[in-house]
Amino acid sequence: MSNVIDEAGWKFHWRLTESAGIMIYLADYKGRRVMWEGSLPYVTIDHQRQTLDVEHEVESHGPWWIPLGTRTLDGPVRVQSFRGGVELSASFQAGPYHYTQLWRFHDDGRMCPWLTIFGPGVHDQHTYHPHFRFDFDLDGARDDAFEHFENGRWQRVETEGWFPYSGEADDHGNVWRQVDFGSRASINVRPHSWDDAEVFAIRYHDGEWPPFSPRSAAGSQPFPAAYVGNEPLDGEDVTLWYVAHVHFDQSFPYTAGPWLRVEGLA
Amino acid sequence: MPAKSAAKKAAKPAKPAKPAKAKPNGHGAKPARRGKAPDVELADPVLFDPLTPGEVADALRTLIEDRRLAAMAKVGRYRVICTEPLVVKPPHWMAGHRLARVVAYDYSHDRAVDACVDLDAGVVAHLELERSQPMLSREEEAIATSIAMVDPRVRERLSLGESAQATMHYWGRTASDLAFARRSAAVLFGQTGGHPSLVAVVDLLDQVVTQVVPAEQW
Repeated sequence: MSNVIDEAGWKFHWRLTESAGIMIYLADYKGRRVMWEGSLPYVTIDHQRQTLDVEHEVESHGPWWIPLGTRTLDGPVRVQSFRGGVELSASFQAGPYHYTQLWRFHDDGRMCPWLTIFGPGVHDQHTYHPHFRFDFDLDGARDDAFEHFENGRWQRVETEGWFPYSGEADDHGNVWRQVDFGSRASINVRPHSWDDAEVFAIRYHDGEWPPFSPRSAAGSQPFPAAYVGNEPLDGEDVTLWYVAHVHFDQSFPYTAGPWLRVEGLA
Repeated sequence: MPAKSAAKKAAKPAKPAKPAKAKPNGHGAKPARRGKAPDVELADPVLFDPLTPGEVADALRTLIEDRRLAAMAKVGRYRVICTEPLVVKPPHWMAGHRLARVVAYDYSHDRAVDACVDLDAGVVAHLELERSQPMLSREEEAIATSIAMVDPRVRERLSLGESAQATMHYWGRTASDLAFARRSAAVLFGQTGGHPSLVAVVDLLDQVVTQVVPAEQW
């Protein structure tokens, strides 16, 4: 099977990684570069106590995770056309944790990096934290800005940071966007309303490549928070991390992840 | 998602609020660049292709021959976690080079090794030695499972038909937990396809089980 897909106005490459699921790279829409690479570096899982008592802390154990990649792949990576687009999907399984990763590309410029979470887990009181990483190169790597919709309008973000979804969005549900100065095109990020999502905007650096673990030094912030400094974003090459927080409940399976839409790329 | 066709209207960038401050670590605020940098659209997709077995071997040889890792190579208590292709963007000097990212864990120094090997030049182009914890290699997962399987506290709590279901990459939340700073795994035991019944935390440095917890109390 070819790892180049040219369909529905999109041309992109894909490969299965060791730990970050299906990675999409060099993605173009209508012949213009949109994304250098995008992946799902990890899904961490936190547990809460099934029963509370005064002698125990609420969360005494730390998080854990398992790489989504060649070692946990359950069946082949599938490439399927659907009405108005094309999608890739792959299932991963590790004990009581089951995931289906999806990349859907629509001919109207939408792109859906999603993760369906199912499986029973160790017990019912647990929360999933899928971490998606996007290195958008909208019409070139630099010359970009990152914006956050708050207080009723789009606000330019000057420096690296953490930007949670507060419930406020533009008329189309978009909360964050990366804008290219030259073309004035943008990538809009619309969160799933139940994702309790947040975005980390980080200036691209050598060495700050996708980490092979959420875990940095003991006692330090995990990734991507460990990458956040005070560097300017304006006009630079920006990397976005979209993190969802999904508590397990009886309505599982649940599909986390944003809608991404390319706009203004003529 | 609204079922509308793609909006053609270009985004109007918002105005920046105020100048950025310099970063204390020396990465100062730089003026925003306008105009196109060397084009990422010319990137060669072949550079993203999986490494061949020969390229993997080449990368590992180059890494362990690097003088900065002489102690690690001499003691020989390290695990290669993964070796994957890495592609850097122009205008970086390595753009267009065939690169391998090698991540290893050096047990003798309790540290992570994260390296970029330039396969075209045959050199380690980037090397970080740090206290972070990269993911476990498949071999480490298997070692953790085998350590947990023979632990008497685990064996006495397992019922007939229960076995290891998965080995999770685990770290402790508080400093009082051994797994807070040490390389650890959590092995889940239970019936195939059922809920786990037991969790065993394994310290991979000392190769011992440090906690055995009923799954419902995890």
